[in-house]
This record gives sequence, structure tokens and C-alpha cells, in this order.
Amino acid sequence: MAYVATRGGERAIEQAERLYRAQMGEITPARVAEIERALPHLIDRVMGEASLYAPDLAALALAQSGGDLYEALLLLRAWRSTQPRLQTAAPVTQEVTLTHRRISAAFKDIPGGQILGPTLDYSHRLLATEVLEGARFVPAPVEKAARPAPACHPSLADWQKAQGLVEAPALAPVARDAIPDLTKEPLLFPAKRAHTLQSLARADTGGMLALGYSAMRGYGNAHPTVNELRLSEAEVIVRHPDGTEFSAGRVKTSQAEVVTTKGEGKLRLGFCATLGWNEVKTIAGATLDLNAPGAPKGSPVNEEFFLYHTEPVESSGFCIHFKLPHYVTFQSSLDALRDAKKRRETTEEPA
Amino acid sequence: MTETVSPLAPSERLSVLARMTPARLAAEAEALLPELGEIEVLQSRSGLVMLPMRDTVMGTDFHLGEVLVSEAHIRLPGGVQGYGMITGHDLERAMAMAVIDAGFAAGIGGARLPAAVAEEAARQAAEDRETLREIEATRVNMETF
Repeated sequence: MAYVATRGGERAIEQAERLYRAQMGEITPARVAEIERALPHLIDRVMGEASLYAPDLAALALAQSGGDLYEALLLLRAWRSTQPRLQTAAPVTQEVTLTHRRISAAFKDIPGGQILGPTLDYSHRLLATEVLEGARFVPAPVEKAARPAPACHPSLADWQKAQGLVEAPALAPVARDAIPDLTKEPLLFPAKRAHTLQSLARADTGGMLALGYSAMRGYGNAHPTVNELRLSEAEVIVRHPDGTEFSAGRVKTSQAEVVTTKGEGKLRLGFCATLGWNEVKTIAGATLDLNAPGAPKGSPVNEEFFLYHTEPVESSGFCIHFKLPHYVTFQSSLDALRDAKKRRETTEEPA
Repeated sequence: MTETVSPLAPSERLSVLARMTPARLAAEAEALLPELGEIEVLQSRSGLVMLPMRDTVMGTDFHLGEVLVSEAHIRLPGGVQGYGMITGHDLERAMAMAVIDAGFAAGIGGARLPAAVAEEAARQAAEDRETLREIEATRVNMETF
């Protein structure tokens, strides 16, 4: 069997793409705007995984891909690579973010109190089937409090550090332009913590949930409890050419800390954050971060294992590449199989 | 009686401009244009700003992801510069912000411009207050049995 070069299929390829796009129909500004307005959680998930905060572009990518998240991510990551990086903003610190939701499952009386924010945590999940019969689902308005909540809340971890409950490492400040950046450097192991957290921030929600869940079920070394979960809006603090710092606008961020009492006399915390509001992702990611120290190679909570396997563009791309023609490699394997079979039959022949 | 408006610090003023409603931003910039002379556009583009965050556990700064922004940088005939940067893709808004910034830097616009920015700052604060009243309504007041 020799290598066989083939050609053809151009028409089929073109018509296949037309068929795919025809099923999506016309994409209009109104459709994109409606996706952005009606599906904020999906937009947030896509922006986090694309590592690009641009709600209208995320909505466009979803419209163009018909809701295929991996296609949408690929579009956004590719588009992002066409844009210049103008600046690195000032680091977001949680005590100055405009906090919409902030809860702790570990401590009832946290400084600043428990703020549920927008959530369905304690709600019945009932499908509003009446909408399909022509009724409208009109949400009841929020009964606002007389006084506003404080815009910012203190960090629970800082309070725990002050109480001596968790380690308080003193890190030398890093210039914002010197922060390690995965989009410009390879991910090597053991990973720098900045690489680990950036990688988790851009990771696939479903992949992180699967691996984080495995740790929660017992394949890790520490059971997590949510120390603090926070949904916020963070100011994007940029520099004017004269050096003045100002906010160019706000972006939604989520962050989670999980805690375990398994430690040497102290609490141990895991952390994860992402662009957009995505609670499952940050809790699962923080659980992986908590479990990573000392995890054996090949374990789902081993850092190399979960960081490599939750990169959405690489993992989905590798998965779907198997459907592309592998005729030569497969034929070669088939030839080897036939040869082995023939040799076995020859040796098994009676003398 | 003329009401005096205490000027905002440059940082706060720029933040207010970046969040100003598009219609108002455009109106204020257009009102200034006749007084500014021929504007040289040094930059008008979209791009990305990398947004770092500080890890609350170890204190490590890491990159959360990039934010799409629009940027405008202009120069007035006398050499005074103006700058605008806003989140999202809207070159017109960024340019309007740069025009207003140049107006402040050149001392053009009289009392009207600081008054407009102060009014917008108050509107933004009121908007935040309403948001925070909604958030406060979700505070849990727990009682121990």
C-alpha cells in the first residue's frame, strides 16, 4: 500500500458550509442585540472562556455559530488576536469592586454580611410552559431597600489572615507589565501561580466542573466549602498619557474561595476567578486549586492534568480533528494489522 | 445667583466621561468643537486592555482576561492634547471623550463643562444608588434559633 494523494470535495465542502449557515438563517443586528440582552449568563460564560470581555462580540459569535460554544470561542479568540494590546490595567482587588453578590457557606456572620444578589439558589425551578401557550412571563419587580448596600465589601480572606486562621504570604509587588502572561508564554510545570490562575480564568466551564466534581466526590484530597463567593463589577483602571489613572468602564467578574480544615493547624484556601458571572466555574476551579498541592501525576486534581484538559480551544480542537480525514494513518495501521494476522497464520500452519 | 460647582479631580472627571451617556457625551463634544480649532487625530482605534486581578489567597497578580476598548488621542493647534478610552467598540464615544478632555486641558468651555460633568457624576451616583438599593434588598438577616 502506498501513500495516495487525493483531491476533490471542493463543491461538497462549499455546499456543506452553506447548509450549516442556512440552518442559522439571516444574522441581523437585532438578533445579536437580543442574544446579548436575553442571555447574559451565556454571554458571560463565553466571554470568560474566550478571555475577551466584549458582550456584543460574544453575542455575535453565538449568533454566527448557532450557539455552538466551542465555535463561538474559536471565533472570539481568533478575532482577539487581530487586535493590538493597548495597555495593562491596574489589578482588580476585591475590596474595591462594586459587589452584587457575596456569600459564605463556611461562616454565617462574615464582615459586611451575606448578600444574596441575583440568584435562583433558593427558588423552585419550574418551567414557565404557559409562555408557549401565548402568556407572558413578567418578572416581579425587586422591592428596593430604603438604604443602599455598601458598594464595596471587605475581603473575608484578609479577615481570616488577620485572625491567624490562614497563612498570609507577603509577596513582593509585581509591575503590571511584568505579570506572567499565558498568551505570550508557554504553560510549563510546575506552573507559576499567575499562569495557573490565568489558565483557570479562561478554562472550559464544563471541563472544570467535571474535574472539580471528581475532587468533590472524593478523587481529590480535600472537601471544599465555599469560604466566599463574590459577583462584582470591577473598574477597568487605565492610564491617561499624562499618567492620570481613570476607569474606562466596568466589567463583570466572579471569584470564589473554597476552604478546607485539612491543614496543619490552619485553614487552607483555593481560589479561582473569571470574567463575567459564572459561579459553577469559579467554585469548581477553586476546588481544583485547593486540591492541587501534592496531587499525584495523572490525578484529575494534578495541576498539569486539569490545566491541559480544560483549555477549551485546544481540547475541542483536538477532539474534533479526529473526524477529519485520517485515511493514510488509518490505512497504515490497517496494513500493520493485516501483516500481523498473516504472520500469525503462517506460524500457526502445521509442519 | 450663580451656582458654583467644585471641580472633580482629573481622575474622577475622566471616569465620569468614560461612563457618560453617549448622547450627552456627543452633545458636549460638539458644543466644544467650534472653539478648539483644527484637531489633529493622533490615534483613533479599538484594541485590548489586559485586566489583572489580585488572588485573595496568595496575593498573586494574574491576568483575568482582556477587555475590548476604544481609544482616541488628539492634539489641538496649541499643542494641548486630549485622550479618551472607553470599554467596548465605539470610536465616536472615545473621540468625544478626547475632545472634552482637550477642552478641559485647554481651559475652554467656561463653567458649562465642569457643570455638565458634575451633573453627570450625580446621575451616575444616583444610578449606582438605585442598583445598591436592589442589592441591599437581598441581604440576609439571620437569627439563631
